[in-house]
Amino acid sequence: MAREFQRGHKARISDLTAGTDLYVGVQISGPGLTFDISCFGLDADERLSDDRYFIFYNQPKSPEESVQLLGAQAGDTESFRVTLDRIPQQIRKLSFTATLDGAGQMSQIGPGYIRIVAGGEEVARYPFNGSEFSTERAVMLGDFYFKDVWRFAAVGQGFDGGLDALLRNFGGEVAEDEPAAPQQPQAAAPGFAPPAQAAAPPAFGVPAGGPAPAPAPAPAPAPTPAAPAPQPVAQGFAPPPGATPPPAPAPPAPPVHTAPTIVAPMHTPPGGSPVPPPAPAPAPYGQPGQQPPYGPGPGQTAPPPPGYAAQPQAPQAPAPPPGYGQPTPPPGYGQPTPPPGYGQQQPPGQMPGQPAPYGAPQGAPQGAAPQGPGVLGALQQFKETPTGQRWTQQNKKLVRVDLGVGEQPVLARQGSMVLYQGKVDFSYKGAGFTGRIVGNATGQEMQLMRCTGKGQVFFAENSTMLHPIELQGDAVCVSAENVLAFDESLQYEVRRIEGHGIPGGALFTMQFQGTGTVVVKTHGVPVVLPVTPTTFADCNAVVAWSAASQVVVSSQVRMRRNSYPGDTGESVNLQFRGAPGNFIVVQPYEI
Amino acid sequence: MNQPLAGFAPAPVTARMENHGNHMLKVAMQTGNDLLARVGSMVAYEGFVQYEPNPPAVRQIAKDWLTGEGAPLMKCSGDGLLYLADYGANVVVINLNGDGISVNATNLLAFDAHLTWGVERVKGLAKFAGQGLWNTRISGQGWVALTSRGKPIVVDCGGGDDETYVDPDALVAWSPNLKVKGKRSFRAQSLIGRGSGEAYQMAFSGQGIVVVQPSEDSTDRLRVRG
Repeated sequence: MAREFQRGHKARISDLTAGTDLYVGVQISGPGLTFDISCFGLDADERLSDDRYFIFYNQPKSPEESVQLLGAQAGDTESFRVTLDRIPQQIRKLSFTATLDGAGQMSQIGPGYIRIVAGGEEVARYPFNGSEFSTERAVMLGDFYFKDVWRFAAVGQGFDGGLDALLRNFGGEVAEDEPAAPQQPQAAAPGFAPPAQAAAPPAFGVPAGGPAPAPAPAPAPAPTPAAPAPQPVAQGFAPPPGATPPPAPAPPAPPVHTAPTIVAPMHTPPGGSPVPPPAPAPAPYGQPGQQPPYGPGPGQTAPPPPGYAAQPQAPQAPAPPPGYGQPTPPPGYGQPTPPPGYGQQQPPGQMPGQPAPYGAPQGAPQGAAPQGPGVLGALQQFKETPTGQRWTQQNKKLVRVDLGVGEQPVLARQGSMVLYQGKVDFSYKGAGFTGRIVGNATGQEMQLMRCTGKGQVFFAENSTMLHPIELQGDAVCVSAENVLAFDESLQYEVRRIEGHGIPGGALFTMQFQGTGTVVVKTHGVPVVLPVTPTTFADCNAVVAWSAASQVVVSSQVRMRRNSYPGDTGESVNLQFRGAPGNFIVVQPYEI
Repeated sequence: MNQPLAGFAPAPVTARMENHGNHMLKVAMQTGNDLLARVGSMVAYEGFVQYEPNPPAVRQIAKDWLTGEGAPLMKCSGDGLLYLADYGANVVVINLNGDGISVNATNLLAFDAHLTWGVERVKGLAKFAGQGLWNTRISGQGWVALTSRGKPIVVDCGGGDDETYVDPDALVAWSPNLKVKGKRSFRAQSLIGRGSGEAYQMAFSGQGIVVVQPSEDSTDRLRVRG
């Protein structure tokens, strides 16, 4: 039976198994995440002095083949064959690491493990999951190290800086692996090669580069949202590229969608080139980052419960490498497979019987520390994000405006301030006499306050999602109740949409025009649709649209409206017409 | 059939308190290591866990909690896994490790019973928004879980005399060593219906942090349910 390791546990390999020809399997996955799993062969000083012992997809074996990369199999995301007694003298430590490829962080990973299989039987397993990590982008899973004899240690240590930090940790070749840094956020195939090449051009046959410029600091995950899309991660991995672009990208999609999509179109006038809404669509599909987990074999899909799928097909699917047949795949792997699926639930399962796993007071608190302990450590992930810009989105539901930048007041919905720093004055912003008349008559009335002074103000309301839309001379229509705040430099007016069948005779909306930012709020994740010849929206759910599109009222279901008193179903639909490039924003919530 | 749901199985326990998703708290209960949790926050448990609402010890400490119905805390003891949630609010888990934190009463979800804690009324703010602002100050070696409507933001007060002003309805927690005072920003005109909507703020100054939620909804849902 496999021995279960916990973080920090160590054991002599000879205590685990008599064999020295070992199979090391790593299973790690997360929704929408891809990983590069590699093995660093380190010398006695724990440095990567010989880069031929950096085993990764591009260099799948060490010179004397004591460490080989086998690829995904038997439910493992990646696997290695380690022949301990052939490892040369100078290599004293093998460190197995997983690096995120593309956007994401280690806290998003599902349950995974690193395990040692000898003679077809699993002898050790160190399970881990995302809750042990936070924003790290790389993690050292476990080590084989030589101290009198070969030993195994469950490490489970994350690295904030991802691959860059890992290399620094192992090689100290910081100067040389600078080129790695820029790619590091998206990492994977392209990210990997440069550092290697920097370390040892000949070995990797990528002598091409003097180190590329752009020595970006490692952790900056700036380009993440958009990045995964064009990243040709797959090339290196070349998993069966047919692997259907799975629907799984759904999770990453919303962020991509919500934040940049709305903002993006604004930089170009709505008449302009890129149709904004399609943007999110390609992202998930084009995202080859998805493939590796799914690629390895159709049998091994479902990353979270590897056990289920892997059991039947896995062994045969990815042709076990030659010479590795001895741990007869079907029985050998079949047997360790059930644990992956069930292993994760094991602790709860054991619970009534033996409360051991809950060793809360001793083991747990310090064992976990996914982030540094203490209040500050725990709250690190919620820190405010500093920028020098006027408007900064702090998270999906909070927006900060720096009144010092741009030196002009902000108008905001009354009561929407949650926090401010500096000298800021809040005053009532009247709509003026005509404004009130119009507002009362049209329902497009905004209860505003004017924020003046110098300082930062944080706006939020009712946990609605906020979307700063930057206008550069163009215009956007937003219904008044969805406006949270805007620069005073913007002009706004009530616009009337006429059409028969509308209760009250007409619909009204606010049109914002000029140069500045307007923050729109939506209940839930909105959908941004391109305006096509057949774009319709419920007038209660539509939040905003680019003002260049023409709005037509189409009430299709009036038949039913007549048969009942009161409102039945879909009362008024709005049809949008416009040149390509226009868009509408619809929220999943009907006011 | 389980396939789509399998991803939501509990992860192995690695700490006393952990998030299960963003909105649920998982506590590894153990005999002798009791937990104080908001009444009504339990959504599931596994194992042998017992609940004692309004335990005497709590009544003692929280005697001036003007609730009229006893402290809204229950003591949970036993062995097992306990899942807590508060109507879909985000849960923030903190390992205090010797630090202290002041938490708004409605934003406190659970904490280790062995921590040092006390209830206090925010000084200088006699009656805020009709409900009075009560906060719980917790410190020691152990775990605390807070709730926040939406992902919170942590702002550093920066030290010095500069003040950070917070809408009391959006306030979640703050460092106990901060200086707190009330600020009424309304003027005469706001009394006649022309206010900016921001009548009261709390001003924090000193070294420390303030945690704010992106919502001004401070309704105590657990309490409302009764």
